[in-house]
Amino acid sequence: MSYKWNHVASLQRPEIKLESLKEDIKEYFKISGWEKKLQNAVYSELSVFPSPSHPAAPPEHLKEPLVYMRKAQGSWEKRILKSLNSMCTELSIPLARKRPVGEQKELLNKWNEMGTDEPDLSLFRPVYAPKDFLEVLINLRNPNYENGDSLSFRTHLGLIQVPLKVKDIPELKEFFVELGLTTGQLGIDDSTQVPPELFENEHVRIGQKVLAEQDSAAAQQYIRQGSPTALRAELWALILNISSQPEDILYYEQLKTNVIQHDLLVDSLIYKDVKLTASNDDYYFVFEDYLYQVLLCFSRDTSVLGHFAYNSASPPKSYIRGKLGLEEYAVFYPPNGVIPFHGFSMYVAPLCFLYHEPSKLYQIFREMYVRFFFRLHSISSHPSGIVSLCLLFETLLQTYLPQLFYHLREIGAQPLRISFKWMVRAFSGYLATDQLLLLWDRILGYNSLEILAVLAAAVFAFRAVNLMEVTSLAAAEAVLADLSTLKVMPLLQIFLFATVT
Amino acid sequence: MAGKVKWVTDIEKSVLINNFEKRGWVQVTENEDWNFYWMSVQTIRNVFSVETGYRLSDDQIVNHFPNHYELTRKDLMVKNIKRYRKELEKEGSPLAEKDENGKYLYLDFVPVTYMLPADYNLFVEEFRKSPSSTWIMKPCGKAQGKGIFLINKLSQIKKWSRDSKTSSFVSQSTKEAYVISLYINNPLLIGGRKFDLRLYVLVSTYRPLRCYMYKLGFCRFCTVKYTPSTSELDNMFVHLTNVAIQKHGEDYNHIHGGKWTVNNLRLYLESTRGKEVTSKLFDEIHWIIVQSLKAVAVNASPSLTSSTANDRILKYNLINDTLNIAVPNGEIPDCKWNKSPPKEVLGNYEILYDEELAQGDGADRELRSRPGQSLGPKGGRSRDSGRTVLTTWK
Repeated sequence: MSYKWNHVASLQRPEIKLESLKEDIKEYFKISGWEKKLQNAVYSELSVFPSPSHPAAPPEHLKEPLVYMRKAQGSWEKRILKSLNSMCTELSIPLARKRPVGEQKELLNKWNEMGTDEPDLSLFRPVYAPKDFLEVLINLRNPNYENGDSLSFRTHLGLIQVPLKVKDIPELKEFFVELGLTTGQLGIDDSTQVPPELFENEHVRIGQKVLAEQDSAAAQQYIRQGSPTALRAELWALILNISSQPEDILYYEQLKTNVIQHDLLVDSLIYKDVKLTASNDDYYFVFEDYLYQVLLCFSRDTSVLGHFAYNSASPPKSYIRGKLGLEEYAVFYPPNGVIPFHGFSMYVAPLCFLYHEPSKLYQIFREMYVRFFFRLHSISSHPSGIVSLCLLFETLLQTYLPQLFYHLREIGAQPLRISFKWMVRAFSGYLATDQLLLLWDRILGYNSLEILAVLAAAVFAFRAVNLMEVTSLAAAEAVLADLSTLKVMPLLQIFLFATVT
Repeated sequence: MAGKVKWVTDIEKSVLINNFEKRGWVQVTENEDWNFYWMSVQTIRNVFSVETGYRLSDDQIVNHFPNHYELTRKDLMVKNIKRYRKELEKEGSPLAEKDENGKYLYLDFVPVTYMLPADYNLFVEEFRKSPSSTWIMKPCGKAQGKGIFLINKLSQIKKWSRDSKTSSFVSQSTKEAYVISLYINNPLLIGGRKFDLRLYVLVSTYRPLRCYMYKLGFCRFCTVKYTPSTSELDNMFVHLTNVAIQKHGEDYNHIHGGKWTVNNLRLYLESTRGKEVTSKLFDEIHWIIVQSLKAVAVNASPSLTSSTANDRILKYNLINDTLNIAVPNGEIPDCKWNKSPPKEVLGNYEILYDEELAQGDGADRELRSRPGQSLGPKGGRSRDSGRTVLTTWK
């Protein structure tokens, strides 16, 4: 605010010359730091919104260009909503209700320790689990595509049977060029055996410089080689263009007030999810209370509705009691349009390692969701969408580890059945926290989720010897049950750059 | 039989026995010739008590130094540290330097503490200086959080007053002795919870002092959110972290037992507070350990009971690495052993302090490498995710 007033005031000064006004303003932007902020904001928009399409294309095309995908997403949504409504009817619980004043006071007092609450959640079930979603994806078909009955070397032997374009290893090597063998990486070149003078010290120095310059684009480029732990929180905030302004904190407080005043059915789903997943995790159990503070507010945040412009999904609509079908009485439910599923809270949990101020944690999570995570549970043709990731994973395995792929298929252990849950959760809860953060560094750096599919394939490659010896799906699951000791960056590097193809 | 280490133990725990058996060591009874005896605390007390006058022969090793209880018992520990500080002061050692308020610059790592009932009057004087402060009462001879409580009023500890009419009622024997310390009511919280650190330190020799810290230490969290509010003083689940206590809290979760590895802690602190302050923290922790050891001997009673499967694996590996250092190459112990073990046998231990190495570079180095300044080559850094940079104090 003060900037604007100074600006206006200076325009009235006699030194301001009309002839040089344009240059003066440009100069002013530079020295006040506003130029950088504008650049970052524009860069942010470019990262999030898809490139401009044909002017005659309807808005649905921005969400999802392929009709059959849109239809599939629509049916899936109907199913979810039906499931939610029937749970609601069965349990005779309204989708939303206003809390009596006494209850509001109680909740306010308990705001920092909602984890101690033990509501009876036994009757609630998650609306869906990743494996339900996988079944839907397996049944996706493009009606315009004729697979033919005859098998050829082109036949895709995995579970996903839609023809989307995915990158092969040469293309991945180009895309992920900074992960190559000759480039320094955090997660590899900061290990004990490597003297810090060779890479780490310089990398840290550059990181500090990037932060000092407050340049989003530079930060995004920098983080491809990984972020030093001490700089990560700030770097992610810079890349996501999050700065905690007073209005952001105020907005969060308003959401909190919404939570206090109204109870939503999805709140119980959130509680249940946190209790089942994050509370039992070795690393994240400590942050249980933060998770409620983020997710309950998230459900009520109508600004999230904006991302449905480029999400193939649409927010579920519900109607005020008794006014079914009347558009004037339609509301989005939950207010943010996102129905949580089993494991949803694991998207937030790792962020608690970086941010301990609730409103900042909240902003970062929200931005991560509307940029990346939503793609992991909606049906679309986007290269970072879950369908493409599944196809990428299967194609990499079939092409570069055919023996393993065939073997697993023969014993009824389709690899995707095991790796799907890893990808849907972006590996949260499966990797050690420091490794997960190194992985998410690269998601931000490359603005793409494809690395999840590559890592999944790399994990299979790493454990190939053991997997070749198993004779059942259960045994295969057992070999891949524990990823907590894996080092992500060496795995990725070897798979992409050091495997003979 | 020649060449195989003969072992005895009076603690029936698989993490111990499996480790002995996997080395092909031979189990014997305590009346036979033995080389290695993993003793319970009671046995140590008996073996090394003045009356029995038992002496170890040159080829025998036990798992505790005779004076281990100098640190196990809280009153002895406090006495030792106070005495150590005074000694250094008398010698004019720069380590004992004080600031203008009389606080030790480098050795101020124990909060104000008194022995009860012995120092009762001294305590009352101190208490009256800041009557709104909270103090923590701990029984000298107990572990695992037993018998600990908080007070903020003198009336709550009337029993320990020497003049009290009930004092004859309370036995003056050391079993009932307590220490009372100023309670630190602004601890570092994570997720709003208090936590403590469980670190494993192996002392192989005292002269010269050679000690190792196990890299895989862990933090134990309270299940309930911390609050300094006085109404919660009675709620031990807020203030105490010992697992033995937490196990009975309603919120106790059996799957993970409320623990984090020290590496995790480091990752969290570096991410949220920055690298410098985190390194300083760990340096100071190491410093306190070494100084405490120099003041006295080692804590005797780590719990060997495992609460989760992961815990069992940790303790098994811990004992394994411990034995590798204490009984190198599975050779029959020889009291003349004096060499530092090679790096390969350290396993998950790293050198905390090696007096021989330190003295090799001159005594004046000790001053320069005070916590916060790492000097000299970095000793073994942890290989797994997250690193502990070790300073060797020379």
